[in-house]
Amino acid sequence: MKRAILGIFMTLLAGTVMGCATSGDLAKMQEQQNQTAAKADQALQEARSAMATADAAKRQADAANAAATRAETTANNAATATTNSATGGPVEETPANQTPQSSDVFQKSMGK
Amino acid sequence: MKLSPISNWLLLTALWAFVLSLNGCAGISWALNGAQENPYPPPSHDEREIERNEFTLPSGDDVVGGLAVVRLEKGDTLPDVARHFGLGVTAISAANPGVDLWVPEVGKLVMLPLSFILPDAPRSGIVINIAAMRLFRYQGNGNPLAVLTFPVGIGTTERPTPTGKMSVERKEMWPTWHVPSSILKAHRAKGDPLPAVVLPGPQNPLGESALYLSKSGYLIHGTNKPASIGLKATNGCMRLYPEDVKRLYDDTPLHTPVVIVNQPYLIGQRDGVLYMEAHKPAEGADEREQKRIFERLREIERETGQPLNWKEIEQVTVEARGIPVPISRLAPESSNEAPTTTEVRHPEKLYGKPEVPELKLDGWYVLAANVADETEARRIAAMINHQGPPIPSRVLVDRDRYRVMTGPFKDVDEAGDAIRRLKIDLELNGILVVPASEPLQELVQQPTPGV
Repeated sequence: MKRAILGIFMTLLAGTVMGCATSGDLAKMQEQQNQTAAKADQALQEARSAMATADAAKRQADAANAAATRAETTANNAATATTNSATGGPVEETPANQTPQSSDVFQKSMGK
Repeated sequence: MKLSPISNWLLLTALWAFVLSLNGCAGISWALNGAQENPYPPPSHDEREIERNEFTLPSGDDVVGGLAVVRLEKGDTLPDVARHFGLGVTAISAANPGVDLWVPEVGKLVMLPLSFILPDAPRSGIVINIAAMRLFRYQGNGNPLAVLTFPVGIGTTERPTPTGKMSVERKEMWPTWHVPSSILKAHRAKGDPLPAVVLPGPQNPLGESALYLSKSGYLIHGTNKPASIGLKATNGCMRLYPEDVKRLYDDTPLHTPVVIVNQPYLIGQRDGVLYMEAHKPAEGADEREQKRIFERLREIERETGQPLNWKEIEQVTVEARGIPVPISRLAPESSNEAPTTTEVRHPEKLYGKPEVPELKLDGWYVLAANVADETEARRIAAMINHQGPPIPSRVLVDRDRYRVMTGPFKDVDEAGDAIRRLKIDLELNGILVVPASEPLQELVQQPTPGV
């Protein structure tokens, strides 16, 4: 029993000595927490800013799409009117739907 | 109360656990800090460590450089990766069969064929191998020899780059392009008339510098179409990236000999290992060139007494990937190990990649295409972005369709010029898009610039 009590006492004594290191670690932890909080704040601000930028970009893209729709409608109407007057029939394909045959056309475009 | 020994130990253990919990931070911080100080090392090399242009060649060797791979990121095109790593478009495409040139798969590892077998030609002055679309500039006479190498764009099938011996007759910075009559005629025929003289500037296809060869009418020059390097797109001249032609210009004195060869099949040795490199030969030359190289290989087999791997040779010939492949050890003591391939980290920014400005409400645009497939839209946008001079282009999503919008342009004239170029160069019928900020009445009143 005496030995057990001695063991317990030595254990607690060791814990107390190591407790000084614990205080230092606690201070370090607190500093780390403060830094983490600051970083989280910054990240939140950056995320908000990115969202605002993304919203603005989306508005620009929507406006550009709307303008493109207007332009396509006008072009289609003009093409239909021209073809109808020439042939009496509707246009099959909108001008902007055509796509180039990739590699040959690109290579040709690289000439002088 | 008398406790048993086991109970005593249990009590002590519980106390230790309690004490350690108080010291949790101290207890585990060492482990954490240890991990932080020794992070898992990155698996690849810095891309700046990969040599792309300047090599030394020990006496007796015929192979320079080394193979590398890089992992693709979103927005990459093979032409942009090629330029950054000093390669031509065909070279990177041949080394990576099946990889989409304009919309390659994100995350894919692509081969950078930065190893070259030197052409069979005197190692002095400039040697250009048309088949490999590569220029070699030999420097000095020492051992090791210094070699500077760059990708080149060459002549079309109709107007090929000539082979033969010539020299650098004169050089000019910011050259004026005196347009040959044949080119004037061709441009007039396609509705794109050129002036007889094009002054230095972004419209001048000669770029910033030119080396005029003794063979009249043929130049080694820069370009305003960097994406053409490694393509057969010129009227016989040889084009280099702007950053490469500057270096060559500064390094090459007048009267430097220039030898132009056409060698689709190359063999050479390094460290006692024989390599073969194959490129797609010109039409009609395949059989002749193959016969020539196979005869040479049989000769080597007889001379060295070392058997060649004919299965590998056949595969290299058929695949024509433009990469040196080991086909034999020239001596029993030569290395048996395959050459290593280095993985390079993707650079933060690819050099020369076209920038696309932000959308502007007051900008003029041209709708170049409206397609159902996103990949097709991105492909078209990339081709337009890589025109010379570049035409900024992006993909806009509209419900289930994808629009390719070029611009912004500052006014209707600039937009009209883009419409004309899209039609003539890419066979695209663009639609003028007035600024989004313009009222609808303006749309009716604006005349569409003539094409």
